[in-house]
Amino acid sequence: MTQTAIKTTPTAPGSSNSKFTLPRILARVKTVSLLYLLMFPTIVSMLVFSYYPKLDVVIKAFYRWEPGQIEEFIGLKNFQDALADPLFWNSFQLVVILLVANLIKMWPGIITAIALHRLASDRWRYIFQVAFVIPMVIPGLVWLLIWKSFYEPDFGILNRFLTLTGGMDLLSWLDGTKELPGVMPNIATSLAPIINGPVTTLFSSVWGMLTFGAVVMTCAARSVEPIANLRRAVLTVGLAVCTYLLVKTNVQGNSMGAILAFVGVVLFVISIARSSGPSWLLWCLWMLAGIWTCQERLYMLPVLVLVAEVLNFAVRKMTNTIAAKDIVKWVGLASVIIGCLFVAFGKIWVTSTGQFEFGSPAWLGNKDLVLPAIIFWGFPWVGTVGVLIYLSGLQQISTDVYEAAELDGVGPIRRVFSIELPLIMTQVRINLIFMTIGTLTAYEFFLILLGAAGGPGNKGMVPGLYMYQQAFLQGKFGYACALGMVLFMLVLLLTVIYQRYVKVEK
Amino acid sequence: MSTSRPTKLGEAPKYAIILFVLFFAFYPLFVMFCISFKSNEQFQANPWFFDAPSQWHWENWGVAWNIVKNYIANSIVTAVISVALGMIMVILTSYVLARYRFKGRNIIYYGIIASMFLPGTAATLVTLFWLIRSMGMVNSLWGIIIVSSAGGQIAGIFILKQFIEDIPKELFESAQIDGASHLRQITTVVLPLSGSILATVAIMKFLGVWNNVMLPLVVLRDDEKLTIPVGLLRLEGEYVKQWGEMMAGYAIASIPLVIMFLFTMRWFVKGLAAGAIKG
Repeated sequence: MTQTAIKTTPTAPGSSNSKFTLPRILARVKTVSLLYLLMFPTIVSMLVFSYYPKLDVVIKAFYRWEPGQIEEFIGLKNFQDALADPLFWNSFQLVVILLVANLIKMWPGIITAIALHRLASDRWRYIFQVAFVIPMVIPGLVWLLIWKSFYEPDFGILNRFLTLTGGMDLLSWLDGTKELPGVMPNIATSLAPIINGPVTTLFSSVWGMLTFGAVVMTCAARSVEPIANLRRAVLTVGLAVCTYLLVKTNVQGNSMGAILAFVGVVLFVISIARSSGPSWLLWCLWMLAGIWTCQERLYMLPVLVLVAEVLNFAVRKMTNTIAAKDIVKWVGLASVIIGCLFVAFGKIWVTSTGQFEFGSPAWLGNKDLVLPAIIFWGFPWVGTVGVLIYLSGLQQISTDVYEAAELDGVGPIRRVFSIELPLIMTQVRINLIFMTIGTLTAYEFFLILLGAAGGPGNKGMVPGLYMYQQAFLQGKFGYACALGMVLFMLVLLLTVIYQRYVKVEK
Repeated sequence: MSTSRPTKLGEAPKYAIILFVLFFAFYPLFVMFCISFKSNEQFQANPWFFDAPSQWHWENWGVAWNIVKNYIANSIVTAVISVALGMIMVILTSYVLARYRFKGRNIIYYGIIASMFLPGTAATLVTLFWLIRSMGMVNSLWGIIIVSSAGGQIAGIFILKQFIEDIPKELFESAQIDGASHLRQITTVVLPLSGSILATVAIMKFLGVWNNVMLPLVVLRDDEKLTIPVGLLRLEGEYVKQWGEMMAGYAIASIPLVIMFLFTMRWFVKGLAAGAIKG
């Protein structure tokens, strides 16, 4: 410490000729140790309350730990259990759905910020800006409980509103009764032959169709390099074979195989990220791939990637590059849209819930209604702080850009995509990162809303809540730590990918 | 901001969007006040708007106050002490990190920043709980205070360090020549210049502590020790639901924040914008 401490900003007056006289060294030591003394509370508190608990999670993950009774080292057993735990994996399915929903829910905030930014009157903008801060005075929990009261079956404002406006009749008409299914179940029934027939044969399921579309669109979005294409193809085929085999072994109860399959998936996601570059569409792909993982048809994913590559290659061979790009893009978009329609009408409202005919559906108490209720929660999904952050980004846009755009005759809608969105990408990206991490690790909301079991039929069971339940209700603290490790690795992976591949295009 | 001359037609959709969003942002606030003056029967009959003032049930507020006053006192004690301790640590550390280069500085700085990217999961709550337990602070406000004053320093240090680095060095140097100690330099140079940033950091921290549910939920047991979120949660769960009293309780729980915001709003809006631009 003493030698490099000389770099310290000089404080001791009366400099001597030699650097290493004893008084000088002593002075440095004194200065630096004083600095460390000032930082001492922070360092200690960070180590004890931030690093130690996180480190302890890693250690305790290898123990069977039921405090007060038992604490023994059991190696990887907890992880093997975790990978074979259906409830844990189902909870990730919910996370994927919530991620997709949250991705859509980000837009109202951006749109509001743009509207606020474009207001002609500076005074009104300031007034609105202040107004957006005011709702923050409601503590988070109070806001949560008030919204919960909206969902109450008998007293709740939502049901009252629906009854008053005729929305309840509409829902009831769509839903029908158990004996006589309404419109939505009927549509689902009539779509079933198509979904189970050609769609499943070609894409292995509707989710496969969505993934296929996303892959095709990513293909279109990227530049052509023959060598990279070859490498990608080889990588894809290799991983396809490997993951197929590993998933097979997993089905036979081989948990080491499951761990290797997990590693395979991670490598696969990273390789896709590397080859596809910064693209928004990629996120759809990853999320859908996640859904797929939960559907136990992981091995089809690389196959679809391969098909998409071949399609892309073939179209490029037939026409010129620029035309091919458009064609491939539209093919991809079409399959995503059709896939979405199939999901919305053929997969979700399959049977009649029977909740609406009496006019008081229990939104949080029925297993079919929990998910819609959670997704609708907080309508119109504008976080006021988020709006202010976007706004501060928007206000750095110089007026020159707008003038140029106006000269070129760019309309108000196109201005969103050509000026405003690219310039607030930094903020959007930060928000995206926090949103993803938040969605993966959230559990308070679900605990307060639905209880530790995740509501009726465990429909609201997110990974974090499962952890909480295993620890504080079942007393399996070591197992909860192992689950925490798995979740943590996922979060870390996502963060790294975000940092590296979701680049800011300036 | 738009450069073209604003037309009425062009402005209307923007106002419509903003007002729509603001309506939903304020609606829970409205519902809270509206229902806090109603009995259950009145709520059943008319959930949409206030009744005639003569029929208002003012006693809801009295009942609610008796229930939540204890929780509020606990929360205020916890939040104020945590914020004070936390801010002292934040100021000291960011002062040192911003002003001096010495061995180990980078390790400490990146060590602090890195813990922001190691998100806590529910499993961290488990180990934290046992840590607090082994310190003998279960069912005690001190457990909450110590943990919350340690938590949430990172963002504060990150913002404040950048701010102090932007303060002209000459100010510190002239103070040094006058023989000012570190603490004196902090009180005479840093504090006066960084008012709005400090206020923003402190408010964010206060909000964080005030809204913290999970830690108090697992650490605190006795009813007289609960902080406001856990108290409200218990009220919502155990009570035979008296909607008016519950909503009045929610409103009372918000009052301390309202008071705090009234005093610091101007700083907060400014600081939020400044911090966001930098970060």
